[in-house]
Amino acid sequence: MRLEGKTALVSGGGQGLGRAIALRLAAEGARVAVNDRTPSEKVDEVVEQTKGVAAIADVSDPDAVNRMVAEVEERLGNLDVLVANHAYMTMAPFVEHDPDDWWRNVDVNLSGTFFLIRAVLPGMRRRGGGRIAIIASEFGVVGWANATAYAASKAGLISMTKTLGRELGPENILVNAIAPGIMDTPQLDVDADDAGVSPEEIRRRYAAESPIGRIGRPEEIAALVAFLASDGAGALVGQILQPNGGTTRGPG
Amino acid sequence: MNSTEPGVGLVTGAASGIGAAIAKLLAERGWRVAGLDLDSSATELSLQADVTDRTAVQAAVDRVAEELGPPGLLITAAGVYRQLPVEDIDDDTWRRMLAIHLGGAANACWAALPGMLARGEGTIVTISSELALAGGGNDAHYVAAKGAILGFTRSLGLELAPRGVRVNSVAPGPTDTPLIAADSPSRAPDYLATLPLGRLVTPDEVARTVLYLVEEGTYFAGQTISPNAGAAI
Repeated sequence: MRLEGKTALVSGGGQGLGRAIALRLAAEGARVAVNDRTPSEKVDEVVEQTKGVAAIADVSDPDAVNRMVAEVEERLGNLDVLVANHAYMTMAPFVEHDPDDWWRNVDVNLSGTFFLIRAVLPGMRRRGGGRIAIIASEFGVVGWANATAYAASKAGLISMTKTLGRELGPENILVNAIAPGIMDTPQLDVDADDAGVSPEEIRRRYAAESPIGRIGRPEEIAALVAFLASDGAGALVGQILQPNGGTTRGPG
Repeated sequence: MNSTEPGVGLVTGAASGIGAAIAKLLAERGWRVAGLDLDSSATELSLQADVTDRTAVQAAVDRVAEELGPPGLLITAAGVYRQLPVEDIDDDTWRRMLAIHLGGAANACWAALPGMLARGEGTIVTISSELALAGGGNDAHYVAAKGAILGFTRSLGLELAPRGVRVNSVAPGPTDTPLIAADSPSRAPDYLATLPLGRLVTPDEVARTVLYLVEEGTYFAGQTISPNAGAAI
C-alpha cells in the first residue's frame, strides 16, 4: 500500500490501460478520480471498483478540464498524481488523412494532456510536489506508417515530458512518460477490423512480431505507473520508459 | 513468469554503495542473496572474487548453485570510478575499466545464463550510469565502459527475450555512495544546483528501480531506466 492517502486522476480511465491503472492505484491505497469523455457503464464500473469518483470531461476542451479538476479537488483534495492516459487514434496515409481528424489526434492527445497538467499544477504546488505519468506510445519513439497524426502527438508528449521534467523537477513535481509497445486493449479490436481479421488473429500476429513473444498486459503498465507514483521513484524525472517486449526496432 | 517471485539472486559489487543497497532490499523482499565482491558483503552468501576473472566468477556462481540453488536473478553492480583527463588514461587503465564494467557484467552473465536458459526463465539487471546517456567530463574510460554495458544489455535483452530471460539496465545518476568521494565535484553545491532535483540520487532509489524491474517489469526487454535526479533527460 505505497499510495495510502494519495489522490490520483486517471484520464481515459473507463477502459483499457486507464482502467487497469485506476484499479492498481486504488489497490495501492490511492483515492482515484476516473476521467472519461462521456458517462458510461464502464466508467461507473471502474468508479465502483476503485471506490473513486467519476470525472467526466472531454480533455480537448480546456474549460471542461478546468471545471472537472476543480470538482475533483473539491471531492478528493489537491491531486498528488496525474496519469494522462487518454488517447485518440486514427490512421490514414498522410496526404489522404482528413485534416480535421488529423488535428483531432493532436488536440486530444497532446493539447488534452497540456490542459490536464495546467489544471492540476496549482494543487500540486499547494501540496509541495506531485507525480505526473504521461502515457505516450512506442509510435512516438520509432514512428509508424500511416499514423503521422498519432505519432506526432505522442512524440510531442515525449518532448513535453522532457521539458516539464526540467521545468517542474525543482518543484518536486516529477513528470515521466511511458511509451508502451503493443498492449492488449480494445484498440486491438479496431486494428483487427481495419485489417479484416479476427481479434484473435491480430493478437497472434502482434505477439509473433514481438521478441518477448506476446503482447503486453494492461496490468504491466499499471504496475509501472504505481511505481512511478511511489516514493521509491523519487529520482526519476523527465524519463521515457519503454515497456515494449523488445519491439523498439519496429516491426520486421 | 516465476522469475518475479523471490528465489536465489546474485549481486556483484554487493559490498558497498548501490550493490549493497540492492542486496539489502532484495533480502528484505524475500530473496536469498549471494554477494560477489572483492570485499566481503553483508549477504547470506558472501563470495570474494574479482569480476574480471571469468574462471573465478564461474566458480562463485557454481558455489551459489550448490549452497543456495541456481540463481534466477543476476544484478551486475560491480564498478569503480576515477576521473582522469583523456591524455592521462593509459592502456592499462583503459583496459581495466572495460574489464571491470563490461567484462564483469559479461562474465557474470556467461556464468549464470546456462542455468537460466535451461529453466527457460531468469532476470538480469545491469547497472550502467547516467553518464553513458549524457556523457561526462574527464571520465571517457568510465563512460565508454558504461556505454558498452548499455549496448550489451540492449542486444542481450533482444536475444534472450524469446527464451524467457529478461535483461535490462538501470543507469543511475550521481548517487550518494563511496564511489563519489567526499571532495568530489559531484557533491559540490554548484554542481547539485544544475540538477533539476538539486540533490544526489539515494542508493535506495536505485535499488527500488531495480526491484521494480525484478518484481514487475515483465514487459521490459533490453531497456534502460535512469533514476538520475534529472542529470540526463
